Amino acid sequence: MKVEYKLFMIVGAFFVPVGVIYGIVTDWAEPVGPVALLLAAGLGGMIAFYLWATARKLPARPEDDPAAHISEAEGEYGFFSPHSWWPLPLAAAASLCFLGLAVGWWLFIIGAVFGAVALIGWTFEYFTGDSAV
Amino acid sequence: MVSVGTIVWLSSELMFFAGLFAMYFTIRGVSHDLWAEKTTILNVPFATVNTLVLVISSVWCQLGVHAAEHGKAHRGDAKLFNVSSWGMREWYVLTYIFGAIFVSGQVLEYSELVHEGVTLASDAYGSVFYLTTGFHAMHVTGGLLAFLLIIGRTFTTRTYSHNQAAGAVVTSYYWHFVDVVWIALFATIYLLK
Repeated sequence: MKVEYKLFMIVGAFFVPVGVIYGIVTDWAEPVGPVALLLAAGLGGMIAFYLWATARKLPARPEDDPAAHISEAEGEYGFFSPHSWWPLPLAAAASLCFLGLAVGWWLFIIGAVFGAVALIGWTFEYFTGDSAV
Repeated sequence: MVSVGTIVWLSSELMFFAGLFAMYFTIRGVSHDLWAEKTTILNVPFATVNTLVLVISSVWCQLGVHAAEHGKAHRGDAKLFNVSSWGMREWYVLTYIFGAIFVSGQVLEYSELVHEGVTLASDAYGSVFYLTTGFHAMHVTGGLLAFLLIIGRTFTTRTYSHNQAAGAVVTSYYWHFVDVVWIALFATIYLLK
């Protein structure tokens, strides 16, 4: 996973000097720039660190070997939902909640009830019954 | 796969809080007198204890992750007070309790500040105080709901699968992230003033 974490390390390493230069040029009197730039370094650094830490735990992958064969990448990659209707009612409930903030709390409560049902439905969709993953 | 997606999303959450921090520092920079006056109202010892509660909850959460990674969903037939037998469920319930205490402490603190006349609409200080800590408290509350769902999942299946453990682990990522953000917020609001 060298390529992945190096890619994000570049993002992290780039924004540190940029943030410091920005701070020096503006005499540290303008706080938005340094905060945003240094935390953008955190954005890259966080993902880079995670990928690096994961890479240490995993054995070498065929993706890292230029001479690898396609067949080496076979096997299970995890569970992916083939389709799900639950995000749709959840999104509808969320928009009801946001509309409720503008219209009135009674609408927010209705949205929250529908949202709770949709959220539970989505989270438990593949974790009940005999076919649980 | 789930965990990589969570980390990428959390990095975008970092930028969301970057916006809040930038807002706080900007308004603080232009209204020194207001800060000098209002920060004396803050109850720093109370907030320190509350911060400790949240930090300790992260420790319980990590112990839950340890159990989840070893496929131990719950304590089984063991007695509740036999802590060494605890699985992910018991540790996450303890994390939930600590997280709930933290949010309740926030509510108590808000009510005291409102009595002192600091509200969302009172002045610039009130606005940025409630926006930063309020958005954080909403994240903590969201984390508490996530814990409920993750704990609930352990009751609906016969076996504790790898996918269940993955869900528990990414919830812990989120919880630790929210914890770290709070430490930064606490240092900014209560220590730097």
